[in-house]
Amino acid sequence: MNNPADHSPDAPLDGDLRPHSFDGIQEYDKRLPRWWLLTLYGAMVFAVIYWAYYHAYSIGTPPALALEKEMAENAVLAAQKSGVIDDDTLWKMSLDPKIVSAGKLTFDTTCAVCHKPDMTGLIGPNLVDHEWIHGGKPMDAFKTVNEGVLVKGMPAWGPMLGRQKISEAVAYIFSHHKPGEEVIIVPGWTPPPGVMAIPPPPPAK
Amino acid sequence: MSTAITGAGPGAKTRIEYDDTPVRQFMIASIFWGIIGMLVGVVIATQLGVWQANFATPWLTFGRLRPLHTNAVIFAFVGNMMFAGIYYSTQRLVKARTASKLLSRIHFWGWQLIIVAAAITLPLGLTRGKEYAELIWPINIAVALIWVVFAVNFFWTLARRNEPSLYVAIWFYIATIITVAMLYIVNHLSIPTSWTHSYPIFGGVQDALVQWWYGHNAVAFFLTTPILGIMYYFLPKAAERPVYSYRLSIVHFWSLVFIYIWAGPHHLLNTSLPVWLQSLGMIFSLMLWAPSWGGMLNGLLTLRGAWHKLRTDHVLKFFVAAVTFYGMATFEGPLMSIRSVNALSHYSDWTIAHVHGGALGWNGFMAAGMFYWLAPRLWRRPLHSPAAANMHFWLGTVGILIYMLSMYVSGITQGLMLSATREGGTVLAYPNFLDAVTSTKVLMHVRALGGLMYLVGFVMLAWNIWKTARGAEAVNGSIEVFVPEKEKGMGIVAGFLNAPVIYTTLLFVFAAGWAALPGAWSAMCIVGLIATAAMMSMNFEFSKKGWSSWYDRLLVNALPFTVLTVVAVFIGGLVQIIPTVMVNTAKSIEGVRQIPYTPLELAGRDIYIREGCYLCHSQQIRTLVGDVLRYGDYSKLGESIYDHPFQWGSKRIGPDLSREGGKYPNSWHFFHMRDPRQISPGSTMPTYPWLYTDKTDTAALPNKLSVQRKIGVPYGPMTDAEIQQDCDKQAAGIVADLKAAGAEVPPEREIVALISYLQKLGKSEKVAPADAPKTAAN
Repeated sequence: MNNPADHSPDAPLDGDLRPHSFDGIQEYDKRLPRWWLLTLYGAMVFAVIYWAYYHAYSIGTPPALALEKEMAENAVLAAQKSGVIDDDTLWKMSLDPKIVSAGKLTFDTTCAVCHKPDMTGLIGPNLVDHEWIHGGKPMDAFKTVNEGVLVKGMPAWGPMLGRQKISEAVAYIFSHHKPGEEVIIVPGWTPPPGVMAIPPPPPAK
Repeated sequence: MSTAITGAGPGAKTRIEYDDTPVRQFMIASIFWGIIGMLVGVVIATQLGVWQANFATPWLTFGRLRPLHTNAVIFAFVGNMMFAGIYYSTQRLVKARTASKLLSRIHFWGWQLIIVAAAITLPLGLTRGKEYAELIWPINIAVALIWVVFAVNFFWTLARRNEPSLYVAIWFYIATIITVAMLYIVNHLSIPTSWTHSYPIFGGVQDALVQWWYGHNAVAFFLTTPILGIMYYFLPKAAERPVYSYRLSIVHFWSLVFIYIWAGPHHLLNTSLPVWLQSLGMIFSLMLWAPSWGGMLNGLLTLRGAWHKLRTDHVLKFFVAAVTFYGMATFEGPLMSIRSVNALSHYSDWTIAHVHGGALGWNGFMAAGMFYWLAPRLWRRPLHSPAAANMHFWLGTVGILIYMLSMYVSGITQGLMLSATREGGTVLAYPNFLDAVTSTKVLMHVRALGGLMYLVGFVMLAWNIWKTARGAEAVNGSIEVFVPEKEKGMGIVAGFLNAPVIYTTLLFVFAAGWAALPGAWSAMCIVGLIATAAMMSMNFEFSKKGWSSWYDRLLVNALPFTVLTVVAVFIGGLVQIIPTVMVNTAKSIEGVRQIPYTPLELAGRDIYIREGCYLCHSQQIRTLVGDVLRYGDYSKLGESIYDHPFQWGSKRIGPDLSREGGKYPNSWHFFHMRDPRQISPGSTMPTYPWLYTDKTDTAALPNKLSVQRKIGVPYGPMTDAEIQQDCDKQAAGIVADLKAAGAEVPPEREIVALISYLQKLGKSEKVAPADAPKTAAN
């Protein structure tokens, strides 16, 4: 077999054999392989440096602080990049077939489970009628999706979907509405009776 | 039958017959439990790809069988294998019969009884809720007692030895026996609430630290050190070659037992565990690489001059593959302990690949090699079928590779998908956790296939050994020995007051002083460190002989040797655990304090633990962008201080639940637990129909609350009736809310208590860091 130690000049097969034997087992007393010693000492040196850097002299940033810094920077940069979102922009987006079909994709994979693929409501309310719980303007809907309404079971999708996908999804919802149409504010939504007995259809891929 | 003469004087010649009955018993038990443990493994692996494979039966669900799988493989399969190897090799290495037949018998039957008890209680959901420490407290006591029986039998045998010096295998056995006892006892400290239930005395971060100090060192001192000892006996025996290097044995033994104990916190990287502990876990894991590889080198290089035997000898094949897997796993371990690598690998299937490389490759193949070597000697008959043993080897090897490769792919996929972000690191690329589940589902089938191949190979071993032993006569080995002159012992003091021990102690003290002390003290320690190192190397140059003769003398003195081992393994635990346990929990909470559970929520939590939810769901948001975007702000120390046991978890087969409370309405949980796929298409979570029919055990709550009070959870005084009223009131509220959402259920059902717990997850109150009053609002 190809064991390098078989052939290395400093490792003859005999010699260094300790005199004692245990149940017939004998022991050589070979020198420790140099590369092995280097990994041992190298890891120790690294340990000292690491400890000095993060703890003894506190040069490195602790992980929690580093995380907060990174996320804050990310948020500032992302906000600078994305443009303004308001009712007007969202209405305009709702007329753009490209944006609407991108929004439909997000809706079908994320929202349809609760709001039903045709948006007529399941666990979550109907989105194509004129009744609204948290306001009927596109920015109201954007806020509801972005921040969620935890008490009513609507998760905050902002951290998961991001501004772009949320505005697309909102544009898709409002492609079923028109500016200036009737808006009735209602206190809540009651799921249709027996609806939970029937599993909702799987989301379209 | 036995001709051992215990009273023979020094210089007398006497014949000793070894007691190999326990070896045969432990070996058969190991094979039997090995098959059970692996079979359960294949079943739960199948369930991860096919959720229906639990047949909606409580005791067949993943959460209840997974502890059975891990406990059976670790304590039943490897445990029995280890005992067989230790009983066989120790007698021969010390030239003495095992001290007590009675103790051996108690050890064997006691251990099997413990395993049977575990195999019954775990599927019933009786658990402590801590990984590899799930067994309930009466079984814990039995384990401790049987371990003491084993220890007495072992050290008594050492005391009666006719071989003055201790061989390296015995060093590893000593370290195993001492350390496992220490770890097991500390991590199982609990206060019972009933005959089958208890709460651990540690909570939150303390419990997390103690648990992984134990968990990691169960790997170290149950799955590694005893098997290294076994390797040092059986591998040179099988290869008929001398061990490669005695001095490598010394260096790697002492560095291994000293360093291993420190590495536990690498299971808690990027969590709310204090950073200094995380750093210790990481750097000590890296320093562990070389000591581990020392064992691998001594194993593999022992084969110099015997490599050609690999072609024909099935025993050596297993040993070489096992030692190679050991080398791979101990290289991978330190790698995964690097904070940034761990950010990807932790909570993913990468860890699963890693542990199975160790368990199937190292432990399983060492066991197979040892059994194939032992069987012909224990029954004096050649192995029934070497061809079948070869077949077993290849089936097993390919099985392991299939298993590990699929888990690497799956683990890295999960790690990458769950941490991927878009829009400049502000949005998750895969917001739906299920994306990672469905992407890796096919790999779950592949893994089950790999595991099945390994199991089939192992069943072939069982058949082969059965065919070998059946009808054959069980024989005990024997040997003629000269009873040696008793050397005068060096005593404890002489064991310690010598150059190597004193220098090592000084080096450690100065290093610790540099790391922990402030300012000028720290600088003084550096000076001390350098001075000690210089003196030590000078002293060593001038008295090389003196140093090695001290060690040779130590080896003929079991007691000082054992005490030094104890000291080496205690230090790491002392440094890490004492400060964490002593620290004022009320103050070190990072400005947030958990709101204690109401009685109903506590009952719900015990259901959560019973069903083993923690095996798939973590409760710890790490200081990583992906974690925070997905689950919310990173977890703080104070958020789990009242969690006995802690539930941070070690694997995310499902999403993290630290802040699950209030995320979804009650009805979401109601429908989700009944049929997860109705809410989350593609989910592999089991259905839990029994939660809708079984009643919550509120009668146990008074006892549970009083124990919680004892271990430091600020519950005010409540009568039994008040506790019941409180439960009823909270349950009624949830039931009313469920009804409004179209879900009807009576208030006393378990699902209601479980929902109350899930909705409490992540509820905490802000506390000004300066003042932290002792009692919390309830």
